[in-house]
Amino acid sequence: MASVQERVIAVTARVLQLDPKEIKVEDHFTTDLGAESVQSVELVANFEEEFGIEMDEDAALSVESVGDAVKFITEVCKQQGVPV
Amino acid sequence: MSDRRKSYPLVDSTQPNLLEDMFDYGLPPKICFDGPIVEYVDGQPIEFDPRALKTRDIFITDTTFRDGQQARPPYTVDQMVRIYDLLGQLDGSSGVIRQTEFFLYTHNDRLALDRCRELGHRYPECTGWIRAVEGDFELVKQVGLKETGLLTSCSDYHIFEKLKFKSRQQCMDAYCKVVDEAYENGVRPRCHLEDITRADLEGFVFPFVERLMRMSEQAPEPMKVKVRMCDTMGFGLSFPGAALPRSVPKLIYKMNQEVGVPSHRLEWHGHNDFHKVHINGATAWLYGCDALNSTLFGYGERTGNPPLEGAIFEYIGIKHDLCGIRTEVITELAAYMQSIGFPIAENYPFVGRNFNTTRAGIHAGGLRQDERIYNIFDTTKLLKRPPRVAITDKSGADGVALWVNECFGLDGQHRISKIKCHKVCRWVMDQYEKHGRMSAISDDEMEAKVKELMPEFWNKHKGVAQAAKS
Repeated sequence: MASVQERVIAVTARVLQLDPKEIKVEDHFTTDLGAESVQSVELVANFEEEFGIEMDEDAALSVESVGDAVKFITEVCKQQGVPV
Repeated sequence: MSDRRKSYPLVDSTQPNLLEDMFDYGLPPKICFDGPIVEYVDGQPIEFDPRALKTRDIFITDTTFRDGQQARPPYTVDQMVRIYDLLGQLDGSSGVIRQTEFFLYTHNDRLALDRCRELGHRYPECTGWIRAVEGDFELVKQVGLKETGLLTSCSDYHIFEKLKFKSRQQCMDAYCKVVDEAYENGVRPRCHLEDITRADLEGFVFPFVERLMRMSEQAPEPMKVKVRMCDTMGFGLSFPGAALPRSVPKLIYKMNQEVGVPSHRLEWHGHNDFHKVHINGATAWLYGCDALNSTLFGYGERTGNPPLEGAIFEYIGIKHDLCGIRTEVITELAAYMQSIGFPIAENYPFVGRNFNTTRAGIHAGGLRQDERIYNIFDTTKLLKRPPRVAITDKSGADGVALWVNECFGLDGQHRISKIKCHKVCRWVMDQYEKHGRMSAISDDEMEAKVKELMPEFWNKHKGVAQAAKS
């Protein structure tokens, strides 16, 4: 199974229409990767679908970087019993 | 010049101060006064206590069927009866909408009056409106009304240029002859001082009203003459310190205190030619005039009259209480008026299609978190009009989520997050960014897209929402 990081990067690349090889863990979704308001919402929705989890809207939208998203999603998966 | 600066250190807090004493969401914001008002009249400071408004018997009168009708094609009899019935419902038997007035010249005028009286509403009381000529008074006698307005225009523009009187004395005598006739026939006269804010007050208006007061001295209280001050061209000014004849405060004060017309027999009637119509009416209340004459949605001659629904919310704000008024009927009145071809601008306060509709996404975000942020009061409770968002390119995910939740009739913890609305959000943005759309997205389009893109939510909630609406 691909790692959480790999899956987060793949989803990010798909939603933001970027080359996954260009996406780094330290990249911020908005300032570095150009995610706009609706795209931020789409990212969270696609992360939920990809991992089969439900995320708190405000908390999820507060995550700023790819790396933070990896940590956040890992924690949510753990809380909701989703193996990763 | 003395240094009036004060220091305002931060009052830190971890809890919000929402000023709920003044901004009770279930009411229009309370109008609170924290001291007297001083107006200089003839160089002397005169003090007014605005806090007295809370206990004074101020009230609203209506001229929808008279001044309101002068600006549009005539209402049918059925329409007048329906509107009158709704006015009675709006009043809720409170007496706040105290009176209305009818033309008496045509068969239909008189038929409408009879059918309105047959409804049995105590309020608004029906009164008449005639010119101050002897022949017209026959009409009042025929229909058996207890009170009638008489047009007693009071500026020299009218006395000399329109009515062609040879002198002010001749004019005054003619008006007073009709007032005499009113008394002889047991009808209370209400003299409408047309164009008062452009009149020679000391030369004609005050002497005329003084004479009316003397004529009323022997009459019982319910028959004593009333005085309606008509700001016919909208020249009135609410500003402190403004000069007569345009100053509303000074005009009310002199009429009330110097000429001696009691507040309950004084009425203000305004026009909106300079955008001042509502505030001038409220100012008249403030300075001692108990009655504010108005029309539904401000419709009247030229730029219109004080809006009745504006006066209603001002009244509630002053009294800090609904006082039995059924404000939700305002929405029903607006819908009825529009159904009979009466135009209401989309951004018109309280009843316009968009009066509580937000388009900006950032405002929609605020609305989602707490509708008090961008809604003036509980419009759902007071007007049966929940706050809405119009979906445009500015709406963002917050706006779309707000629309979806309103569509499904969801609130509080049952609301759907904007995350779940992401497909509809994307569709909306693509309309503008990819397809170059310029117009707002209609409710019908949004419903179709929500049904298509959020089928599980549609199936779960739409049946509940439709039941709630019915």
